[in-house]
Amino acid sequence: MNHRLYARAVAAALALSLSVAGIASAQMSHGGGHGAAMSIGQPGDASAVGRTIEITMHDNYYEPETLSVSEGETVRFLVKNAGAIVHEFNIATAEMHKAHEAEMQMLVDHGVLMPDRIDRAAAEKMKTSMGHGMHAAGNSLLLEPGQSGELIWRFADAKDLEFACNVPGHYQAGMMGDFRKAN
Amino acid sequence: MTATSFARACALAAAFTVSSVTAASAGDYSITVDRVALETGDFAKTAIGYNGSSTPTILRFKEGEEVTIAVTNNLAEDTSIHWHGLILPYQQDGVPGISYEGIKSGETFTYRFPIVQSGTYWFHSHTGFQEPDGAYGAIVIEPQGREPFRFDRDYVVQLTDAHPHSGERIMRNLKLMPDYYNRQQRTFLDFLNDSRDQGLSAALADRSAWGEMRMMPTDVEDLQGFTPLINGMGPSQNWTGLFEPGERIRLRFINSSAMTYFDIRIPGLQMTVVQADGNNVQPVTVDELRIAVAETYDVIVRPTEDRAYTVFAESMGRTAFARGTLAPRSGMEAEVPDLREPPLLTMADMGMAHGEHGSMDQGAMGQGAMDHGSNQPTHTMPDSRVMQGMNHGTMDHSAMGHGTMGQSSGQPTHIMSDGSVMQGMDHGTMAAAPADPFYAPGSGLTPQAADGGKFLSYADLKAQKPLYEHRDATREIELRLTGNMERYIWSINGVKFSDAEPIRLQYGERVRFKFVNETMMTHPMHLHGMWSILDVGQGKWNPIKHVVSVAPGTTVFMETEVDAPGQWAFHCHLSYHADSGMFRKVVVEGGPVGKSADLDTTSNHTTGG
Repeated sequence: MNHRLYARAVAAALALSLSVAGIASAQMSHGGGHGAAMSIGQPGDASAVGRTIEITMHDNYYEPETLSVSEGETVRFLVKNAGAIVHEFNIATAEMHKAHEAEMQMLVDHGVLMPDRIDRAAAEKMKTSMGHGMHAAGNSLLLEPGQSGELIWRFADAKDLEFACNVPGHYQAGMMGDFRKAN
Repeated sequence: MTATSFARACALAAAFTVSSVTAASAGDYSITVDRVALETGDFAKTAIGYNGSSTPTILRFKEGEEVTIAVTNNLAEDTSIHWHGLILPYQQDGVPGISYEGIKSGETFTYRFPIVQSGTYWFHSHTGFQEPDGAYGAIVIEPQGREPFRFDRDYVVQLTDAHPHSGERIMRNLKLMPDYYNRQQRTFLDFLNDSRDQGLSAALADRSAWGEMRMMPTDVEDLQGFTPLINGMGPSQNWTGLFEPGERIRLRFINSSAMTYFDIRIPGLQMTVVQADGNNVQPVTVDELRIAVAETYDVIVRPTEDRAYTVFAESMGRTAFARGTLAPRSGMEAEVPDLREPPLLTMADMGMAHGEHGSMDQGAMGQGAMDHGSNQPTHTMPDSRVMQGMNHGTMDHSAMGHGTMGQSSGQPTHIMSDGSVMQGMDHGTMAAAPADPFYAPGSGLTPQAADGGKFLSYADLKAQKPLYEHRDATREIELRLTGNMERYIWSINGVKFSDAEPIRLQYGERVRFKFVNETMMTHPMHLHGMWSILDVGQGKWNPIKHVVSVAPGTTVFMETEVDAPGQWAFHCHLSYHADSGMFRKVVVEGGPVGKSADLDTTSNHTTGG
């Protein structure tokens, strides 16, 4: 795939990187008494990208399952869903993933998140009835089978960061991986 | 090249391909069938076991392997081993009178077949009541590729309902007196309580209805007085699986009971179900699950604390529990919960929960039952038919209550297919938790999680990777599950096995089986040799199983791709129901030349021992 084609695929996929409430603030906002809030980081600038990491999503696991990153580093993730089921690539803490899974469950309950596709009509309906739908969040990609996406992330000081799929059940089945901090 | 030689060449080529990618392509195994001492903590008896032990044998295979299993019968009677859930040539399936002649005392039979699947399965005797007497073990098959989930260690958790009586004695007693083992008979005190709760006339009417049917609301388990075991150990013996906090543990639950369904939970841990009946399912996280007789469920749990957790499995009738422990160190224990209140069957479980019947079902039935009636054509049942059934004064299920089942049969399909579960069901009339469409509305058996969490439903099961291309069934076969409790005869379409013609299927068909449960018992239906694709309304994602449990007052559909020539058993897996007639032979006619159907049956039978 040449660069331009790839960019188009990415644009299409980005439109799908959806989350119910979104994690608009990349700050860890749980009041868990961890002292000073650490940051999971934020969407990064393409110009600051130092390296690119390719991630393949299978049913239901990542390849690779462990990554090393440094604080302050900006990484471009090229994520491909090579499975037959919808999967997500989401950068957050375990606690945030858990909260996000509850939101994803709502998408399942409303017929929006189907095993192998996202029902956009159902998403519209859900938005109308609840006054709240899906919108893009900078820390995640939700990809249908065969789709690819790109996510640029600038890592900050959070120590217990994971990448995970929050399609209900997938995280617990083992579709998650650790970010090892190099520093 | 003739068709035959071409098929042979293909078979050879296939065998070559398999062996070239698998390191260990052939494995030799041996099993002895022995009289063994069983000590459950509650009672001791002489039982049957494999390899001289009352601890179940675990066979570990690898997908793609050609296995050779020599089974030596050290009993004084015939025996057999059926490989439950395995896809294999019918002569290797181990059902006396259908697959082969069985294994005589002192003889060795050598099974040979390829392992074409992976997952958790089990094996057991298909002769007499040897399985209730202890003749069962586990099968664990490692896949050729990686699993679609992660775990650090795994344990087989094999459940059974060990009884101090031998299976033969139990069958005799049930024939003499069907409620012989029902220790939960309702008392005059219960009646007074019912009168207080429902009013005297309703309580009287309710009593009278049950009495005339010779059934009781407590007839959930027709066999009680057993000690549930985990891996051969009673609750006080406390089977323990070790873990390091933070590890993912795969538990392979297998229900090898003769008669008992279990509701399984691990207080403090959620269970992510990743496999049902050996086939991967899209993971679903639950707090509790019900395992029918002969089913398997694989779950992943991840205990993070440095403490013990109780694996708690209550019998569906709440007469007993199995108990084991997951712990960081051996000898640790966690709190063991109390048994919950026994469920009471309702008029819905009788297939009789209709608004029209006025005072009769008041109080006994849930409100939900009435709400589905109006728009379900199959639901309208002539009153005369109901009264007829009841006036028999026997448990002649075939005479009563068909028609009612349509209500739940239609439900799962229609509700789930468009994903609009919430809209399709009238939640206003249901209990707090969404009703499980695989139970009759108002059923007393509908499970609820102990701590208010999620209870697994069949409706949650979706195949992880569909095994077959989805297509419409080519024909439908209705199987009414019928019985006469009074005489302890269980049957299909009112005909018991000994009087029945085989079910004939054609190779290449996709048959849709419609189970209509006209009895008040729950029946785990097991088709040998071919997969049972359970219709949960998910189309191509419908899960692939080998046991389909059909609750009272419900209709459940499953589809089978008829791809295995030969003759196969098809029966209720409750031992005493199967033996008393809820059983059929299935003959698969036609099929490509050279497939399993024309293998020689007798060539692998040797005398020895």
